[in-house]
Amino acid sequence: MRKVIMLGIATFLGAADLSQVIESPDATAILKKDALPAAKAYKMPDGCVTDDAGAIARGQYIFHNLNGKDAKENPPEGLSRKLADGKDKQFGNCVACHNIEGAKGYGNIGPDLTKYKELYMDSGVRNAQFMYQKIADPRMDNPKSAMTVNLANGLMNEREVCDLVSYITAVKK
Amino acid sequence: MRTLSITAALVCLAFLATANAEEKLSMSEADKKMYAELLESNPAEMEVAEGEQLFGELIGSANYAKMLGVKEKDLPKYIAGFPRYVESAKKVVTLAQTIQMAAAANEKPVPKLESKEMVKMSAYVKSIANGQKTSIDVKANKHMQEMMKLGQEVFEERRGGRGLSCNNCHSSDIVGQRLRMQPLPDLGAKETAAAGTWPAYRMTQSQMVTLDKRMQQCMKNALLAEIPLGSKEIVALEVYVTNKTKGNNISVPSVKR
Ligand code: HEC
Ligand code: HEC
Repeated sequence: MRKVIMLGIATFLGAADLSQVIESPDATAILKKDALPAAKAYKMPDGCVTDDAGAIARGQYIFHNLNGKDAKENPPEGLSRKLADGKDKQFGNCVACHNIEGAKGYGNIGPDLTKYKELYMDSGVRNAQFMYQKIADPRMDNPKSAMTVNLANGLMNEREVCDLVSYITAVKK
Repeated sequence: MRTLSITAALVCLAFLATANAEEKLSMSEADKKMYAELLESNPAEMEVAEGEQLFGELIGSANYAKMLGVKEKDLPKYIAGFPRYVESAKKVVTLAQTIQMAAAANEKPVPKLESKEMVKMSAYVKSIANGQKTSIDVKANKHMQEMMKLGQEVFEERRGGRGLSCNNCHSSDIVGQRLRMQPLPDLGAKETAAAGTWPAYRMTQSQMVTLDKRMQQCMKNALLAEIPLGSKEIVALEVYVTNKTKGNNISVPSVKR
């Protein structure tokens, strides 16, 4: 008896149930696919930092450009605007947050990297391994870092991270 | 005396230089002029007027108030408190989702969240609350508490192509700094008042954009996968961002860069 009444109320309320008409897609799969791997420690590969002009040119290009579609100049040898699957290659866009020699329209979320070698490496406060790790996965030594993750998520490959380290540590004119 | 005036002049010059730099950073002279003109006659006003008409044909304020279970004269106050838990929805919903509910209750076709009509209608409905203050209550019930918590999680989760979170660019220690030439806005500040000012006319896109769309645009720019409109996660983000702005005036549609 009691059950019947309850059921009756339920159907009555059911008429005013509008939950089914609301568009409410499930985003779980999208977010899962978009998740970041856990913070990871990296060891800089042998011969990573070089004074090779080609590597420095690539590092410079990655630093100052957002992606292959928006880049004004053509990339130097060893880099391309597109990925193998035809998608636009994403570059570092480091200049969005960092000043460095010759930077145009740079941001200031991250520290100024001008004269980096002279100011921070020659004095021994920083070294190439530190920088490699910072670019590869900045969460390792600073979990709250506002900086982008570049290697741990496959945005760049090892060589590209090395190109960036070579560029930032190079003595500029 | 002489040195004093030189110092004063130098201080003045330095001040002018920084003032100039600030202006350059936020907007060019031409952009500023355009912005002022848009404030004078906001093209989105027309879309809100169209929204009013569409809403009148599809639902009407009386039916809308009835569906929500409030008096028609209390709509402005009630609307100012969205997103909120609505019993007949069985969850926390946005204004756009209540328009879907009201259309269904009125036995009319339910407009899609992505549709142009919905953007216009939800802008109109929000504008009913113009002059009110955003009054979201994230402690009102367990549904709101859960959504607030989820919203914060989504806001702080690093993900996507560059491993960034919303918080990486909008946390309190970052706001005011520059991403390229773009000052990072404090979403809750009076001058941003994010929740009270969207839908807004985006000058750089020559169109009216909702808050949800604006958040999706940040995701797209920063290489985060776009969270679909209407999903629990985007509603939660709207709850979280709206709460940052609680108490600020609602003034829709506004003009944004
Ligand atoms: C969204 C902002 C942002 C972007 C984009 C960004 N960085 Fe950073 N970067 C930061 C912040 C913030 C710090 C300081 C916090 C930290 O050390 O994690 C930092 C720190 C660094 C440091 C360490 C400086 C030092 O000696 O302490 C290096 C090197 C660096 N970034 C290089 C790069 C390179 C190379 C790129 C591009 C691939 C890049 N950054 C992109 C924000 C950014
Ligand atoms: C890489 C940096 C970056 C990230 C990540 C980012 N934003 Fe933004 N956001 C910005 C900038 C810069 C602006 C201001 C742009 C302008 O003025 O045109 C902005 C503007 C906004 C606004 C509009 C503020 C207003 O004027 O009312 C909202 C809302 C917003 N962001 C939300 C989000 C959310 C939610 C996320 C995460 C899903 C996010 N943002 C991620 C940089 C970012």
